[in-house]
Amino acid sequence: MAFGAPRGRGGPARGGRGGMRGGMRGGARGGRGGARGGARGGARGGRGGPRGGARGGARGGARGGAKVVIEPHRHAGVFIARGKEDLLVTKNGAPGESVYGEKRITVDEPAKVEGEAPTKIEYRVWNPFRSKLAAGIMGGIDELGIAPGKKVLYLGAASGTSVSHVSDVVGPEGAVYAVEFSHRPGRELIGMAKKRPNVIPIIDDARHPQKYRMLIGMVDAVFADVAQPDQARIIALNSHLFLKDQGTVVISIKANCIDSTVDAETVFAREVQKLREERIKPLEQLTLEPYERDHCIVVGRYVRSGLKK
Amino acid sequence: MAVDYLLFEEATGYAIFKVLIQHDDIAVRLQEVQEAANDLSKFSKMIELVSFAPFKGAAQALENANDISEGLVSDYLKSVLELNLPKGSSKNKVTLGVSDKNLGPSIKEIFPWVDCLSNEIVQDFLRAIRVHGSKLFKDLQEGDIERAQLGLGHAFSRAKVKFSVQKNDNHIIQAIALLDQLDKDINTFSMRVKEWYGWHFPELAKIVPDNYSYAKLSLFIKDKASLSDESLHDVAAIVNDDSGIAQRIIDNARISMGQDISEQDMDNVSTFAARVVSLSEYRGRLYLYLSEKMNTVAPNLSTLIGEVVGARLISHAGSLTNLSKQAASTVQILGAEKALFRALKTKGNTPKYGLIYHSSFIGKASAKNKGRISRYLANKCSIASRIDNYSDEPSVAFGQILKKQVEQRLNFYDTGAAPMKNSDAIKEALELSGSDIVDVVMESDDETESKKDKKEKKEKKEKKDKSDKKDKKEKKEKKEKKEKKEKKEKKRKAEDEESPKKKKKKSKD
Repeated sequence: MAFGAPRGRGGPARGGRGGMRGGMRGGARGGRGGARGGARGGARGGRGGPRGGARGGARGGARGGAKVVIEPHRHAGVFIARGKEDLLVTKNGAPGESVYGEKRITVDEPAKVEGEAPTKIEYRVWNPFRSKLAAGIMGGIDELGIAPGKKVLYLGAASGTSVSHVSDVVGPEGAVYAVEFSHRPGRELIGMAKKRPNVIPIIDDARHPQKYRMLIGMVDAVFADVAQPDQARIIALNSHLFLKDQGTVVISIKANCIDSTVDAETVFAREVQKLREERIKPLEQLTLEPYERDHCIVVGRYVRSGLKK
Repeated sequence: MAVDYLLFEEATGYAIFKVLIQHDDIAVRLQEVQEAANDLSKFSKMIELVSFAPFKGAAQALENANDISEGLVSDYLKSVLELNLPKGSSKNKVTLGVSDKNLGPSIKEIFPWVDCLSNEIVQDFLRAIRVHGSKLFKDLQEGDIERAQLGLGHAFSRAKVKFSVQKNDNHIIQAIALLDQLDKDINTFSMRVKEWYGWHFPELAKIVPDNYSYAKLSLFIKDKASLSDESLHDVAAIVNDDSGIAQRIIDNARISMGQDISEQDMDNVSTFAARVVSLSEYRGRLYLYLSEKMNTVAPNLSTLIGEVVGARLISHAGSLTNLSKQAASTVQILGAEKALFRALKTKGNTPKYGLIYHSSFIGKASAKNKGRISRYLANKCSIASRIDNYSDEPSVAFGQILKKQVEQRLNFYDTGAAPMKNSDAIKEALELSGSDIVDVVMESDDETESKKDKKEKKEKKEKKDKSDKKDKKEKKEKKEKKEKKEKKEKKRKAEDEESPKKKKKKSKD
């Protein structure tokens, strides 16, 4: 953090208090994250190296190759790798590369035509300690709005770690419009997007969606992880412009970023009320414990004609 | 007001649609459009494509995307509008629906007979066009828009990162971070040199406590046995020509209780000491660089509070622009967020100072007045940063005067001598900087100000301060006139937009 290196995640707008924010996250994660490699891959030697090189590095289990069985998750496009321990994975859209030093698992897919060699499919591990969306899925979120072939507007993309997984989920038919304001992580976002043709990077302020309206088509879902006091307004502005009628809105809320003087539940309730006023019908609210403290994910449906009371 | 035409900006080009349905009742129409948005066959009866003007290549697309982003009318858009909108006059107006209300005035400037509209119904029309996308543009094929978006998105974002406005700020932020890091590192390294060389010549650390001189001396002396009276002159040169200290060093070298050191060990100590010396020298150069940079980027701020603290403020705010947008109360506690949030949570006392504490002014104030001078200094810092950020011709006149004011305020707390008035201060600063244009504006302000002063003579000083501050702000506002106006307009319009929505909800109930 002291080097001004990419923070945990930057909001779409001026990362002024970023330092503090990042610190909190790191702290909350430390307890369990450490054991699972929650912090940046660092010394593990796994980064970018060819698979199978450093076997038995940190965690033996997941790398067992043949021992791992991939099962589809309830949400289309997301998978579970069952090995020594269960892991959330997505099918790698750019095989052979890790985006942020995450683990990759390759399994043999039996060939459809008999007699041919089995094809290899690569999956990337999605760490719920790093991605709030993954934490939401682990927590059993009911509706995601992100599925193969869908178009997603992702506000607060930061350096594109979670975005890369969303891009895996929507697949080549879908698209992810990744909006991030800060230039520093934006650089990494563009680098990631170069390798994934279904990610469209947009370095601009999510507070002014009119500024980037030329770059975005209609989307099926809006995911927002912007951690700003006026995030409900930001999400509403973007939804009014780009979100289909009956589209899904998924928002991650960090209570401390909105109001640190009242308790988390009150903040969540207020935010949900704000969404209601902006024609977003709340469907479910989910806490991100144990991955994050005082965070929640709210899923809503955008009703263009307004909510009927 | 009915909408005649719609302008839709897209990654592949501009499209102009004619609106076919013209209901008078807006509420009915709104619902119709909203429903039709989900049904192409219905919607295609409501509008008709007049023209679709594709961009000729990626460069033109990027140029247009940037103009649209800023709410400007590019030459290409101008020609497209000219070709496709019917010629009107001041009586026979044409209404064009646009997405961004900021684009409206720009279009109006070029085509006076075109009224631009961006209300709820226009937004719904444009939403519907966005939903159906390529099916409405006859020339385009499936996937064309996506490809164009991808290309344009990359180009747009790359340009944003490449041509960042905060170019200079980034260097300041990195330099101050490196300076802090160097200070820490040089300290730990010097301790290591003292520790290591101390085995050979333990007395030296007591005589020369300064890290840099110590490292240099250890480099020069090497084996303490080699030191003799002849080297007095050279040793003195290292310790600021203090022959007393030099003599003590030589005397102590003779009676030192340090161990002997082999040549190989000595080489290693020397290599490391050389590193420390060169790091220290580099730190000095870096400091000069930072000072120079600060004096060009934020001359007034660095004159007022010093280059290092000024740089820390900029670094903490993220950029000079961000700093200038922050309230003085925020500047005051910048860097004390932890204490602030703790205080907010426990409803205790909020901190009095953050980074600003390192300014020499606060050290000079007595304990009781530290909070007051911190507040005053933060006010002046805020003003200085704004002048620095928004002025076209950098000068240090304001910084000097603001500094003088803070000094007088300090003096006032100690002795009670009345500090100068803000209006006088600004007048003086303007004379210093020699600007004529602002002078005229200020004079008119000053007249009213002096009258006020006479009337309010007996009132409390704080009140006067407030009115003076307002004056200053007015002046600043004149400088940033354009920007602020735009912002205000945006806000107002945003509010206007929101209010009809709310009304509608109520009517539905």
